[in-house]
Amino acid sequence: MKFIDRFFEKKARSVAQTNGRRGFMKGVGAALVGASSIPLLPVARAADAPALPQEAGDPSSCDYWRYCTVDGFLCDCCGGSYNTCPPGTEMSPITWIGTCRNPVDGRNYVISYNDCCGKTQCGTCLCQRDEGDRPLYRSDKSNDVNWCLGASSSVYHCSTAIVVGVAFEQGDK
Amino acid sequence: MVKKSLSISAFICATALSAQSFATEVNAARAKFNYQMLCQGCHTPDGSGFKDVPKIKDYIGNFLVTPEGRDYLVRVPGSANSALNDEELAEVLNWIIVEMGGESVPNNMKQYTAKEVSQLRKHALFEVVDYRKMLVSKLPLAKK
Repeated sequence: MKFIDRFFEKKARSVAQTNGRRGFMKGVGAALVGASSIPLLPVARAADAPALPQEAGDPSSCDYWRYCTVDGFLCDCCGGSYNTCPPGTEMSPITWIGTCRNPVDGRNYVISYNDCCGKTQCGTCLCQRDEGDRPLYRSDKSNDVNWCLGASSSVYHCSTAIVVGVAFEQGDK
Repeated sequence: MVKKSLSISAFICATALSAQSFATEVNAARAKFNYQMLCQGCHTPDGSGFKDVPKIKDYIGNFLVTPEGRDYLVRVPGSANSALNDEELAEVLNWIIVEMGGESVPNNMKQYTAKEVSQLRKHALFEVVDYRKMLVSKLPLAKK
């Protein structure tokens, strides 16, 4: 028993001499932060994430496959990207949704055209392709609606094109 | 032995859960796609809703505890007037309730059938906001 006491005392003193309490707290803090980030890793989210399509084309061109039903200024030309809003703007949480065919894999993907709001119109890369666009009486399927009404500012700036899923095809199980 | 018992219990639980999840035929991929195309734009991807858009997540099941509430989920314009046929509408409603309803869904939830949906959607609501408020005021479990 004495041997065990001496062993642990020696180890404890050794640790205390070489590592400060702050270092210990730092280690614990790093472990906690590290652990909290684990659910954010792609592995943890993969189960519910849409299959990411293979990309081809220029996201700042109207011909880019994701823009098949777009009507507005491309955020990719306005300081943002097809997935993100430019700095100083807010993405509207409500949006209109369509499907576009990816030429690389031939599959149809569900695209969410979230508008970016809060600054005056971007003014560059105006695109109007309108495939699948419906009249205003089908407001959920009309890209003429100002979807910035769902944001804190209703001033429209540009449009994103975010893939949110793979379209269901007849014959899929 | 204990491990074996636990495995058997887990299997029974999993089987019971899957049976409880969708008693009738639900094609989850098709239902999710229809939700995305026709509902998600306003109700948001997880059903949280926004501003005046009603919340589905952890709430929708509260409507199932009264007959009027159950009917309402089909009679609401977004359901009744949707481009979906009766089978697809019943399917997406059942999918939404199970996927997003959380603990608001009663244990004895009865799934919608195409026949039931077909009857109810003939009586689509015209005025929704006040009617919903009235319904919610009568729901025993709903957070008003």
